[in-house]
Formats: sequence, structure tokens, C-alpha cells
Amino acid sequence: MDFLVSSFAEALRLIGSFSPDVVDAVRTSLSVAVGATVFAALFGVPVGLAVGLSDSRWKGFAVTVLNTLMAVPTVVVGLFVYGFLSRQGPLGALGLLFTPTAIVIGGTLLASPIVANYTLASVRGADPRILPTALTLGSGRFRAVATLVGEIRFGMFAAVIAGFGRVVAEVGVAMMLGGNIRGYTRTMTTAIALETSKGEFSFGMALGIVLMTVALIVNLFLSLLQRR
Amino acid sequence: MTELYRLRSVTKRYGSNVAVDIDALTIDSGRLYTLTGANGAGKSTLLGILAFLTPPTSGEIFYAGERIDWKSDMVRMRRRKVTLLHQSPYLFGGTVFRNVVYGLKARGIAGDAALRSVDRALETVGLDRFRDRDARELSGGEAQRVAMARALALGPEVLLLDEPLANIDRETAVLLETVISLLPSRGTTVIMTTHDPDPPAGRNVGSIVLEGGKVAAPRVSLPA
Repeated sequence: MDFLVSSFAEALRLIGSFSPDVVDAVRTSLSVAVGATVFAALFGVPVGLAVGLSDSRWKGFAVTVLNTLMAVPTVVVGLFVYGFLSRQGPLGALGLLFTPTAIVIGGTLLASPIVANYTLASVRGADPRILPTALTLGSGRFRAVATLVGEIRFGMFAAVIAGFGRVVAEVGVAMMLGGNIRGYTRTMTTAIALETSKGEFSFGMALGIVLMTVALIVNLFLSLLQRR
Repeated sequence: MTELYRLRSVTKRYGSNVAVDIDALTIDSGRLYTLTGANGAGKSTLLGILAFLTPPTSGEIFYAGERIDWKSDMVRMRRRKVTLLHQSPYLFGGTVFRNVVYGLKARGIAGDAALRSVDRALETVGLDRFRDRDARELSGGEAQRVAMARALALGPEVLLLDEPLANIDRETAVLLETVISLLPSRGTTVIMTTHDPDPPAGRNVGSIVLEGGKVAAPRVSLPA
């Protein structure tokens, strides 16, 4: 028990003293997560809207595909992107493997299905009178959809935040595509995995506390939006 | 009085269910029509078709002499001449003003002209002091009046009303009834569904009765 208490105290000291290793890992984590979330939003929101508003007979299939993609393990995404970015891969010449960009690419693939599914759920849960009302008041299709988006904007924000939560907390993609390079691609999650295996439990715990705090803030914000 | 709508062999199917099956129906401009029928008779579906929101499964619709091509931009242009007011209208988030000005903005009308139209429409429904109120905090009767103002601000050629007087307080019902009855004399054709056993009658009032999706007995009371 003393071990846990002293590790916790040391972890708080590391956070309070702004240890450069902790700060670097936090900064890398947040920057790649924000980058991946932005791209996931740019891709996932339109896809979720298109599927949600579609009358196509393929809609059910598209929903199943999106649900399946959401359940893909992070290491599988990492493996897939690794295949493309490795030296022998089709994009190997770009030299992106073991860079923050590679983590952003993997994170985008991870978060996009989540953003798309949450957006889809928002469209499905929207009041069915919104589009007919906008149309009968003279809107074209595009303006009517923009009105719908405005009416369900909190659901959309929730979709994007859920995507961020997924990326910031994952370890598989960051480890496989980032390579856990100190001060460059080392994220909070990969640092926790490494430092704990090296016996630096306090350091891992410090990052764990920061990660939990970020997750808590994200989820508090998410529940706040879902209540609106 | 001129012919505004002409429907020829119009059907609307949802799977195997035939919601509307009309051989022929003519609706003249500048008149008030009551649309009656039992629940499931096809009233709301017909209103959706007349509002150019629901394309029919088959048949032809002529509006002001022009055959409607449902796949062209013409539908959107015609839709701007017709406004449908639902029984339980949806009000967008934000203020009453944002709701009433919505259709004007969609038509590119802004500034003082829009402001005047909004104020006039709100005044007509007795809500001139409600412009900055949150639309989501209104009572059912107030919301119905805002929806009516939102439609009136557009000065539509046709106003389609789905049970406009149902589930609202007596005061609002009387006010809306008065507003609706004055519209045909200002050139707006009104088609309203109703379950009222004593619907508006008299000069310039037509009646369309639907039974199982078919027009049962088109009756028109001619000027005395």
C-alpha cells in the first residue's frame, strides 16, 4: 500500500513540477488527438449525414459497415496503416512512419467511424418535422440540410468529442505508427506503457492522472451536450 | 376564379398501402377549401402532394396550368408559392423572429423589408410583442400562432393547413379562424383539413371529402 501512496505522491509532484517528459507526452497526445479529430470530423460528419438522410436501399448495409468499423481494434488499424507507410509500402517514400503525422492518419481512421455513427444517430433522432418545415418555407435541399445540422448541432459536437476521446486514449495506433520516440511521438498512453514496464511507476501514474483528467473533462462535456 | 391545381390519376403508395388514389381533382384559386375524411383517409398525404413535398407515385399534377416535373428545379420554385402548416408545427431553436424571418431569408429578402413583413405577420396573429421571445418557451397556442405568422410573412399563393384549430385554446382558435377566413379575399387559396362537424361554409368555400384515399364527394357552395 505504501508503494501506491508514495507513487501517487511522486506522480503529483511530477505533474506539479511540469516535468519536461510529462509535458512533452501531454503536448504530443493532445496535438495528434486534435489533428485526428479535425480530419475525422471533416470526413465522419458528412458521411453520417449522407447515410442518415439517404433513402437508398443500401442504407442498412452502410450502417452495418459503419458499426463494424467502429469496433475495429486499434492494433488492426495500426497494422493496416503501417502496411501503407512502411518502407516497402505504397506510401513508404513519404517517410511518414514513426512521425506524429502517422499517428494522426491512424487516429483519423479510428475516430471517423465514431464521428459518423454519432452523427448518424443524431440525424435519426432529429425531429422528423425539421426538413419538411424548412422545405415548405422555401429552402432548397442544401439549406434545409444546413438547418437540420443547426438544429442537431449539439449531437454533432458530441460526435466530434467522442472521436477525440477515442483517439486520445488509444495506445495501439500511437505505438505502432509513432514508434514511441521520446519528445517526438511519445504520447501519454505509449509513455505509460513504456515507463511502467521499466519500473517507473510514478511517471506512468502521473501521465495516467493527466489522461484520466482529460477523459473526465471530455466526458463531462459530452454528457452536458447530450442533455441539451 | 381560375384553376390553380389540377390532379389527374394521382396515386401515392407506401409499399402495398395506397394512401391516395385520385382520378381527378380541380382546385380554384382564391378560395377556401375544407378537406375532410376519417383518420387514414389520405388527407395529410394529399396536403404533402399539394405542398410539393411528397411526389406522387403516379399521375400528373398541374399548377397554374403548368405540369409539375418532380425531378426539376421547378418543384422548388413552386414550393415557394405554397406553404404547409402542420397540426403540430416545428419551431426552430432561437427567437420568434428567427422563425418568422426564416422563409424570407430563404427567398433572399432581408433588411427593412424582412423586418416589416415579420412585424406585420406577428401583429396579424396578435404576437407583436413576442418577436424576441425564445420560440421553445411558448405555449402550444402561441407556437401555433408563430407558425401561422411564419407562413403569412411569405404571402403564399396557397396556404395548406393540417388541422390548424385542433388542440389549441379557444381564444387562439377564434383568432386563427378569423385570419384564415380573410385570406381568400386577399388572393390566398386556403386548403385546410378539419374534423370540425361545423366547418366554414357559405360563399367561396369548397369542400373536398376523402374516403380511403379517393375523392368521395367534391362539393362546392356557389355564391348565393
